[in-house]
Amino acid sequence: MNQPEFQVPASDPRRAKNRQAISKIFRVACMLVAVQAVVILIVLLTTVFVRGVDQLSWDFLTGVHRDDNPDGSGLWPAIIGSIVICLICGAAALPIGIGTAIFLEEFKPRNKTLRILHNLVQLNITNLAGVPSIVYGILGLTAFVYMFGLFGTYEANKAAELEFGAQRYYQVRTLAKTFVWIPATDKTVRVLRIEEPITARYPDGGDFKLNLIDRGATKPSDPTVLGQTVYRGSKASIFAKHPWHYLRLPFHKSVLSAGLTLALVVLPIVIISSQESIRAVPDTMRDAGLGLGCTRWQMVRTIVLPASIPGIMTGAILAMSRAVGEAAPLLAVMGGVVGKRHAPENLMDNAAAMPITIYNWARDDNPGFWELSATAIIVLLCLLLTMNSIAILLRYWAEKKFASR
Amino acid sequence: MRPSATSKRNQTFVVSLLVLCATLSIATTVGIVTILLTESYGFFSRIDLSDFLLGTEWTIGRSKNEADYKYGIWPLILGTLRITLIAMAISIPLGLTTAVYLSEYAPRWIRAILKPVLEILAGMPTVVLGYFAVVVITPTLLEPLGFKPYNAMAAGIAVGILCLPLVSSLAEDALQAVPRSLREAVYGLGGTRFDSVVKVVIPAAMSGIVSAFLLAFARAIGETMIVALAAGSIPTFTMDPRGPSQTMTGFIVEVFQSEDVIPGTIAYYSIYAVALTLFLLTFITTLIGQFVRRRYREAYE
Repeated sequence: MNQPEFQVPASDPRRAKNRQAISKIFRVACMLVAVQAVVILIVLLTTVFVRGVDQLSWDFLTGVHRDDNPDGSGLWPAIIGSIVICLICGAAALPIGIGTAIFLEEFKPRNKTLRILHNLVQLNITNLAGVPSIVYGILGLTAFVYMFGLFGTYEANKAAELEFGAQRYYQVRTLAKTFVWIPATDKTVRVLRIEEPITARYPDGGDFKLNLIDRGATKPSDPTVLGQTVYRGSKASIFAKHPWHYLRLPFHKSVLSAGLTLALVVLPIVIISSQESIRAVPDTMRDAGLGLGCTRWQMVRTIVLPASIPGIMTGAILAMSRAVGEAAPLLAVMGGVVGKRHAPENLMDNAAAMPITIYNWARDDNPGFWELSATAIIVLLCLLLTMNSIAILLRYWAEKKFASR
Repeated sequence: MRPSATSKRNQTFVVSLLVLCATLSIATTVGIVTILLTESYGFFSRIDLSDFLLGTEWTIGRSKNEADYKYGIWPLILGTLRITLIAMAISIPLGLTTAVYLSEYAPRWIRAILKPVLEILAGMPTVVLGYFAVVVITPTLLEPLGFKPYNAMAAGIAVGILCLPLVSSLAEDALQAVPRSLREAVYGLGGTRFDSVVKVVIPAAMSGIVSAFLLAFARAIGETMIVALAAGSIPTFTMDPRGPSQTMTGFIVEVFQSEDVIPGTIAYYSIYAVALTLFLLTFITTLIGQFVRRRYREAYE
């Protein structure tokens, strides 16, 4: 009556054996393929290590790039540049990312328009995570470097329209062959012709009255007076000193532009990982807080955030380590800077960064720089390794702490 | 107990701040789309759309004279596709098999090695993989076979290595989501481990696996530094992987590198036109991925 629709075939020992054999072969094949990843990683790390370790020295870490000489070149400005850019990126991306995650996870609105916004943000973040980083680079270029052309078109070496904190001086050589500065008032006058006595300043501070003598007249003999005297009609050309608090609009090709652009790149990653760790906080803890009469925000601030901070930090560090290795958006925003001789002095300064230096050295015509590129990769990987181990330690510590509850 | 008026006011303030944060991500998308559309208008208002869509030569920046420029996008698209296909041919089989091994077979100690290795590979900066392609893959693997010093193959292999961890971790998640009971049913019918993997688990996880592939595909299309280092910088209208090729991202980087792009010139606007094409391609791929995951997902309780 109740016939089964299909019949289990009578066991055939030979076929069963074959199938067992196939299964075993498949298992071994899978393992061999999976081990490929380990092989690739080992080959990659050994190559970089073998090629680069010879040049790794204290001089390399503290030196600066030299165009002609790979042996004397170093990575110092790039290391500092990368760290500064990464800090700016973190300072911008973390508060915004964590804020968005809290909004998405804890404040699911009942209001209809807000609910549409809520869904839109969630959908949007999934899509943003798939946008190529070079496209973010282009966004950063238009939005931060040129500011949509709101402050006039960009021209190299032109003073910015809006700036704060720049000190402009004319520099002139005295008869003692030292340089003194004259504070500039009008930044559009590039060259000042000195026709009358004027207040000047030593580069290391201290104002004095600049003396003038005519060409051909006898020079004063006192060296101090000589250091305060120039010929009538001398030309002084303008330059700008940018202290650490210097700001301007638009940002042009600066570390600030670069950091903000990278912040946009890692923002989806920060949001998604923060969301996951907030979601991991059990609802019972939330209910306990709300039951005591907290507002939702009080509950989030005192219960959910402290419990999820280790997870959020782990995600944040991983996002930052992604930012340190990104080169494409930096290339778009800052251009291929490599020959920078010093670390950035203010937020508006241009800087070298490690990934860009690696890229440029790897493309250099001089093969010496290829080896140097490997050395720079070792430094970069060490930095990434440190960041990742901090993240792993943090995760481990958090797991232990919350397991005991 | 009811919250006090002050704490309610505080909450309103904080929530509006949070909404502000959330709108920023929307602003990013709006920003990307507006900039790409408005700036590439500067490009499309000066040249014919048909030249762009049908032309087979791309020579922007190759000659001094702007009148000699040719604006056919196809060499760049073919360059991108060539590298992406090579990358997929490497990362899909390798990644899927690794995922199967991790999810179905791997003993704990191998897992403990493989997982971190994959994570390190996934976090590897792309310049490093580009360097690897130039100094290892090309000279030791490809040049003996008659490949040029800069070629699509090396770049494709390196991009494949980059996508491998992505494919394997997403596919592993999909495989893990298949409930144990299905596997046990296979064993109960007398099936082997192989039968359970090939005939039940993989088909059951298909939607997750396919969306993993699509994500990897989008990633490979948008990959920049590897192709800028390893693929060369000549846009070619061919599918031959032995010679140099330039991708859409590669072109954008080359223009940025040259430093003398002046805003307002046709070369400058061409970046936006290429970026728009790139953005559309990746966006469509991501959308299809999301659609597949939602539409064909098998939900298990």
